[in-house]
Amino acid sequence: MRSRAFQLSDAAFAALGAGRPDAGTLDTLCRAQLSRTLLLLRELRRRHPAAPAWYSRIVAAGPDEGNRLIADPMTGLWAARALRAGDPAEDFEIEGRPLAAVHRDLRLRVRVDDSSPLRHEFGLPPAEPLTDAGRDHWQRCLDEAWRVLVTRHRPAAEMLAAILRVIVPVRPDPAAEGISATSSEAFGAVAMSAPADATALAVGLLHETVHSVLNATNLLFDLVRPGGGTGYSPWRDDPRPASGVLHGTYAYLAVTRYWRTELAHAADPGAAFEFARWRVAVADAARRLLAGGELTPAGVRFVTALLDEVRPWLDEPVDPEAVRLADLARTDHHLRWRLRNLTVTPEHAAALAGAWRAGRPPPPPVPSITAHVPGRALENSPRLRLARAFLRREDDDPAGRATAGDLACVRGDSGAAVTAYQIDLEKDRNRDLTWAGLALVSPHPGLRSRPELVKAAALAVPEAPVDELADWLSG
Amino acid sequence: MPVEAGQDGGETPEQWRSVLIDVSGVTLAELVAADDSALAHALRRVTDELDRPGEPIAGFNSAI
Repeated sequence: MRSRAFQLSDAAFAALGAGRPDAGTLDTLCRAQLSRTLLLLRELRRRHPAAPAWYSRIVAAGPDEGNRLIADPMTGLWAARALRAGDPAEDFEIEGRPLAAVHRDLRLRVRVDDSSPLRHEFGLPPAEPLTDAGRDHWQRCLDEAWRVLVTRHRPAAEMLAAILRVIVPVRPDPAAEGISATSSEAFGAVAMSAPADATALAVGLLHETVHSVLNATNLLFDLVRPGGGTGYSPWRDDPRPASGVLHGTYAYLAVTRYWRTELAHAADPGAAFEFARWRVAVADAARRLLAGGELTPAGVRFVTALLDEVRPWLDEPVDPEAVRLADLARTDHHLRWRLRNLTVTPEHAAALAGAWRAGRPPPPPVPSITAHVPGRALENSPRLRLARAFLRREDDDPAGRATAGDLACVRGDSGAAVTAYQIDLEKDRNRDLTWAGLALVSPHPGLRSRPELVKAAALAVPEAPVDELADWLSG
Repeated sequence: MPVEAGQDGGETPEQWRSVLIDVSGVTLAELVAADDSALAHALRRVTDELDRPGEPIAGFNSAI
């Protein structure tokens, strides 16, 4: 049997890192994934003394139809799961119903899997099988999303047409506006809640398909050394390993490019906000990855190309109000991340209280430690919702639920926001959203750089005014 | 000069070479019958992943 190792030229590999894989590179990734599933199926077959039903079915189907079955994302997922579990793995079914969209000369043809047992393998609870109305909603959103992608985002549309094969509808998350996921074992499948509209579907499918592209790249080349620690990711509320940060950075490079192109077509304040928000987050995350020392040589090449791609976008002119609110949203996330995931030890909190009450300067540097918060978290930020509404000049608080601090913060009235947040903190000093809001507008740099420290001190010294504590810790 | 991805040192190679081999043109039946030493390396690459599948990636949420 003659077979060659997969190779990519440096130019092709750099273009892949920049999020611009050509058709040849996408074909290489698809062949790599087909090879992976073939090898897994070989292992499964060799564990059986006699041919199991699935094997006979694939062999009987002939080379083309057999390869179509093997290349299906759910086959790869099934094979990996069966091998890991040591299952007898007698058979599997490819289930679901077709969903397609055509615009101009480009067709997207996927299968909506709303019935197979494998749809539980994406880490999100699957939705009930689609009703006719539910299917119509997906179709309408896909028709419009595909029109936009083919018309204005041709390379992204070609990538989706080459890679995306299966959509698994999942239940919406009440705390999120939309939720989706991919599995590294199901190349070309995305799990996704029913989209709010065509834009959400276009961005969601693009985002998740790019994860599949990176999963396929990871199969070919190690990009991150194992065994590193966890840190900040601008897209998640929990600490992430470098491999996870790379996934987010790569996916949001595609999302950033989407909004950049949308902005070039129309002066949409929403597009300006998303572009301004993510271009900085992607560049910062790429720089941290390169500085972190956890990337392999291939990873360094990949992320360097990624950073080279996004860097020129940082200087492109964007509406200043959109930039202000994008900076606010990005900093807000980082502050909430610190407040959620970092804390100080009880001993250090007591030392802070002792120093304050004795009228002394703060004790020597108090380190922040990881606060072990279990699980993943998706926190809905009221300020983000307000910022988007403010940019669209909509009624920014139709339900009347926003706090005075949040309204003033988003409108740019820092003085009023500081006063309002301080009043709120006097009622409840344990609310991270309020602390993050105050840190966004506070004149005290210590609150911006280490909100968890000021919060810990404020909880340890409940009689001390928050503003004076922040000033004391900023000295 | 092809360099195996993951190797340290040196300049950027002209070609990035994977440890995975391309068996996409081989039928499953041929693959099952084959006992090729090159397969063992590639097989380890894909089965090693089974031991560290990780969580499903991401969870895109336009709200955060």
